[in-house]
Amino acid sequence: MSDKKSMILNVNGNNHQIFADMNEPLLWVLRDDLGLTGTKFGCGKGECGACSVLIDGDVQRSCRFPVAYAAAGQEIITIEGLGTAGNLSKLQKSFIKHSAFCCGFCTPGMLITATGLLKTNPYPSRDDIILAMNNNLCRCGSYSNIIEAIEFVVKEY
Amino acid sequence: MKMTRRQFLASLGGASLIFAIDILAENRTGSSSFGPVPLEREPECIADYTDTDYTNWIVFDPGENVRVFTGRTELGQGLKTVITAVVTQGLEIEPEQLTIIQGDTDQCPDDGPTIGSAACRVVGWGFWHACLKIQNYLVNSTSTKFGIASDSLEFKSGKIKIKGDDKTFLNYSEISTGEAVVIRVNPDSTVSTKQYIDKKILNVNGIDIVTGALKYVNDLKIPGMLYAGFKTPPYHKSITLLETINDEKTKEIEGIKAVEGIGGRVVIIGERYSDVTKGLSLVEAEWRTPTRAKELNIEEELRASSHLQEVKEDEGDVETALKSSAVVLSETYYTQYITHAAIETDTSLAAYDNNSGKWNVWASTQWPHKQRSQIATELKTNETNIRVIAQPAGGAFGGKIGNTVNSEAAAISNFAKAPIKLIYSRKDQFQLRSHFKAAVVIDITSGVDSNGKMIARKIDSYDDLAEGSTFVYDIPNVLTRAFKGNIPYHRAVVRGTSYVQTCFAIESHVDMMANRIGLDPFEFRRINVQYPAFVNLIDSVAENIEYSDNNKGQEGNEGIGIAMVKHGGAQLGVISAKVRVDRVTGQIEVKKICAAFDVGIVVNEPTAVVGIRGGIIMGIGYVLREKIDMDGWGTYTEYLGEYGIPRFSDVPPIIDIKFHDNLQPGGTVRGLGEMPVVPTIGSIANAICDAIGVRFYSTPITPEDIKKALGTDIENLNF
Repeated sequence: MSDKKSMILNVNGNNHQIFADMNEPLLWVLRDDLGLTGTKFGCGKGECGACSVLIDGDVQRSCRFPVAYAAAGQEIITIEGLGTAGNLSKLQKSFIKHSAFCCGFCTPGMLITATGLLKTNPYPSRDDIILAMNNNLCRCGSYSNIIEAIEFVVKEY
Repeated sequence: MKMTRRQFLASLGGASLIFAIDILAENRTGSSSFGPVPLEREPECIADYTDTDYTNWIVFDPGENVRVFTGRTELGQGLKTVITAVVTQGLEIEPEQLTIIQGDTDQCPDDGPTIGSAACRVVGWGFWHACLKIQNYLVNSTSTKFGIASDSLEFKSGKIKIKGDDKTFLNYSEISTGEAVVIRVNPDSTVSTKQYIDKKILNVNGIDIVTGALKYVNDLKIPGMLYAGFKTPPYHKSITLLETINDEKTKEIEGIKAVEGIGGRVVIIGERYSDVTKGLSLVEAEWRTPTRAKELNIEEELRASSHLQEVKEDEGDVETALKSSAVVLSETYYTQYITHAAIETDTSLAAYDNNSGKWNVWASTQWPHKQRSQIATELKTNETNIRVIAQPAGGAFGGKIGNTVNSEAAAISNFAKAPIKLIYSRKDQFQLRSHFKAAVVIDITSGVDSNGKMIARKIDSYDDLAEGSTFVYDIPNVLTRAFKGNIPYHRAVVRGTSYVQTCFAIESHVDMMANRIGLDPFEFRRINVQYPAFVNLIDSVAENIEYSDNNKGQEGNEGIGIAMVKHGGAQLGVISAKVRVDRVTGQIEVKKICAAFDVGIVVNEPTAVVGIRGGIIMGIGYVLREKIDMDGWGTYTEYLGEYGIPRFSDVPPIIDIKFHDNLQPGGTVRGLGEMPVVPTIGSIANAICDAIGVRFYSTPITPEDIKKALGTDIENLNF
């Protein structure tokens, strides 16, 4: 039943050769084979958004995305690819400035989804933000602060 | 593997200055004299001080670094940020000089469960008092040791210096006697205003959080580690049994290492988590059908099985006072089963370490020491053979105190003879845990005299603790009783605890009473509060929500409600909500929340405000959305979408929060982690009633309930 195959994944600008079951969710290849654990497992059903990544600029749920579908030359961006400690993206800085998290578990998915939104719509209204972010869940309820953090980036840059 | 004293001191760096902090919490007895005293016995290992009250430690290392040890953990409530804010300002050091060691049972003493409302108040503020006392201690002991008058010495930037001489600083190793010193503090005692900390800091985990670098349990990996997962029936675990397992179909999956019945569940162990999930979808198992009735009439079961657990209040003569009341109202309120639903599912990594001969368990937990004891029981070994290392939790809300995932991971690891990472699926989280905030039935009767003064109240709360009935209203004759039920689901601590249910009932009832006697609900509360501090809060929210005689809005479908609470020690909260109800779709939109909290000093506002807003949003979930689907056999909720935790679209555009400090003389921290959840619920229920004139007696209040009540449910029109 094994359907393992050698594939090339382009993640955060680097190519990685992996050997995996073609149907394995991208999430677990990112986490276990590439050590990119910033992308989180929250439900495995695409419902919470903690596993969000960008694939060719589109926000996708990596817990439901077969790895083979992401291995045809697409550019995958994970939370680790948005910015690093000394070189944070505007959204990452704004999330810190606006205390847009409590436990932080959903934050990578929130940042990926917000990044995807601003790529397609650099000047979203509050309603646009809510619509784009509405399938990302945060049990701590940091939603107001996340909206403020995104609005700040829209307004300031 | 106890360290010797020499090893311990060596590990601390020989010449360290060690302070054991004895925080006198309200539930702890202790010496009433506070101040530095020598430790009764030599420190061998801080973590060994489990039989004492020295629950938190501050260690000054040679050089300029300070280490803080605490058994309390990082859950998202920002304890590490609070400790950083407090200790860097209290000792005048830079954040880079401070290391905080949290929740490692080999390094930190047991300080009880990390529960949001108390962590900042007791631990955070306890450290503040301790820092002030340490400053004094250092000045005085330097004075004694070197024969310098203490008034010519001062504490500055984490060092002792001679006043007027900016070049001569004394090294702590010169002050250290090699003995640890006990600092006794009472976090509830007041400090003068000039001693308030004033610098607010952002979440110290911020950069790690936004870059994905913060390591939760699931992000750890050790050599040889295997994954494990459960297959369970939807039936409640206490009333069913595993009978057969058929693993024929899973044999073809090469990554699967074992399929086994452990603890009444099917466990699959595999190399990759996807092997485990694939196996779980293919393995077949049969469970014995529960013997209990499938039908579940919660009200009937709770009333039938309940026995009196506690008389919470019994003052005056309720029956006589009711007879002499101008108006008497009797009602029954109902609340639903609610669960924590943290986004991080229960996850544990357990491994036996051949070198140390100990079990290491990396846990997402509110109480590492309790987990250590549970694991030791499960493995039938001594607690000293277990080390629990708490990682930051991806949300807890009361659900990670006595949960079983860590002892299960250890048991599976023991069976597999390999390190095991056990991950609960989302379905497990709802069904296998069967761990809920209780559904509650509350009978409430009260009587009011002709002046609108409440003179009698009687509350019977079925399967609940009836917390939250006291302190708010001044009622001379009260009887409040808590009854314990006998149904198979675990009654869990969930954010807000029993106050949630009690205050929903009381605050709804108070509005109904005001309506019955023709008084405005804000005014009725002003007349009946026990403490004037509440009146300030009522006035504050009334002004901010723009309360008037007509709140119905242009379309006539808006309403404003109010609710109050006294939570925990002395946290007063009043919330007013403004809602708009769509009469056709039944949708309830919370347009604005205005909160006024009398909670003393707010230690670190940025992390406090996001937590409070989160509590308010959780309250919106409790009152409008969340519900577990269950019957007498089991729990059927499987998906987050079905359960209905709040989303972005549920968030009010305006959440206004005002802090007050009128109840006490000032200068104390009273906590605020859970309290905001509670009055949110009553204020929204009351606002809905104000908008459409219909009282709902049970939560959640859904669009379907609205449509049914207004007769706009087109699928069930009454012809």
